Amino acid sequence: MIIGENIHKSFGDLEVLKGVDLHVKPQEVVVLVGVSGSGKSTLLRCFNFLEMINEGKITIDGHTVNPKKDNLTKIRAEVGMVFQHFNLFPHKTVLENVIEAPITVKKMKKEQAKKLGMELLKKVGLEDKAGVYPSKLSGGQKQRVAIARSLAMQPKVMLFDEPTSALDPELVGEVLQVMKQLAEEGMTMVVVTHEMKFAKEVADRIIMIDEGRIIESADPKTFFENPKNERTKQFIQLVE
Amino acid sequence: MPEIFVTVYDVFMRTYPGFLEATVVTLQLTAIGVILGTVIGLIFALMKISGSKILQTIANIYITIIRGTPLIVQIMFLYFGIVELYTMSNFWAGAIALGVHNGAYIAEIFRGSIQGIDPGQREASLSLGMDRRQTMSRIVFPQALRRSIPPLGNQFIITLKDSSLVYIIGVAEIFSLGNREAAQSYQPFESFLVVALYYLVLVMIFTFLLRLYENKLDVDRA
Repeated sequence: MIIGENIHKSFGDLEVLKGVDLHVKPQEVVVLVGVSGSGKSTLLRCFNFLEMINEGKITIDGHTVNPKKDNLTKIRAEVGMVFQHFNLFPHKTVLENVIEAPITVKKMKKEQAKKLGMELLKKVGLEDKAGVYPSKLSGGQKQRVAIARSLAMQPKVMLFDEPTSALDPELVGEVLQVMKQLAEEGMTMVVVTHEMKFAKEVADRIIMIDEGRIIESADPKTFFENPKNERTKQFIQLVE
Repeated sequence: MPEIFVTVYDVFMRTYPGFLEATVVTLQLTAIGVILGTVIGLIFALMKISGSKILQTIANIYITIIRGTPLIVQIMFLYFGIVELYTMSNFWAGAIALGVHNGAYIAEIFRGSIQGIDPGQREASLSLGMDRRQTMSRIVFPQALRRSIPPLGNQFIITLKDSSLVYIIGVAEIFSLGNREAAQSYQPFESFLVVALYYLVLVMIFTFLLRLYENKLDVDRA
């Protein structure tokens, strides 16, 4: 579904990604872990072309993207993204947030978009909040709206960039629950997170990124019980 | 009642028909100055954030010149400059000068509020597949406009008072009439007190309306 080959990304003199190869299969849930600054969020942002890679190749759903020639807005529409700080549109209601892109990008009829929007809000358990503004929601509710907003474009893959890191501890569960449900429905997902319990339960594969390189890639059981790399062992000790 | 109140009252009662007409002129100057200034300001703000070096330079030159010279000089410059080329009433020369002057300040207001919007808003919009234009017009700009309203309101009040400077090219607005009244009546103190009252009342009405509007925006969002 997403194939990254030899991805290099630098910010000025700082090389953040130093040749990353990652192949995410359809319906696979990949969790990216690593210490902060390791490059895991940057990798995610490259997959959505919010950051442009300096070297390498990204293939999405069989199409190798050429950022200079391709219409990136079309590609982004197929790759959903959920941000650490939700980034809901504060001047729009919850339902308006969800139906904005289907109406402006897909030119969906308003009635149809509203129907879709309400279905998605129901799915994340927030249909009663359709008419309120984001400022009235808790962090967990905001993130669930952000997930619904992303799903409204019917993406082929969903990227989650530390979706629970900005939440109060008691609100983390409701967001993870929605993500777990998505994974069970067969959504292809790449998740950057520090929630190891989620990684263990939901991930098909856990990937450890360290200093811009993939140093470990394994199923959750192997990853936690029998990691190969010394840095991974240290990391697991730190988080457990 | 002290003497001064009586004479001010007399001046007021004698002059109000003329002043009401002059008030209309002042309000027209202000309205044109504000509308034109907003249009110019928006264009130059977009030029400044466009990423194009040429457009940015043009906008910077305009803003530097306008903010670096007195309005009264700009009015004279425009009046004598443009009237040479086109036939134009002094009213329009004054109104356009106010618009051009305001444009520089309003451009900076818009630029500041657009750049003050969290970059995450733009990223979220792009990640949903909206293009740059849609992102600007539907996500960034509506939020920036909301933030611009308090400083814009302030700028509008400044425009209302600045419109008095076009008396220099003979437009019959409030100050100009007061000036004439002062000279003719030999009551300069009372005349300018009346002038001050007209401006004060207009500004107070404006401030009140602005506050109502700002409150309404807050209510909408909450």
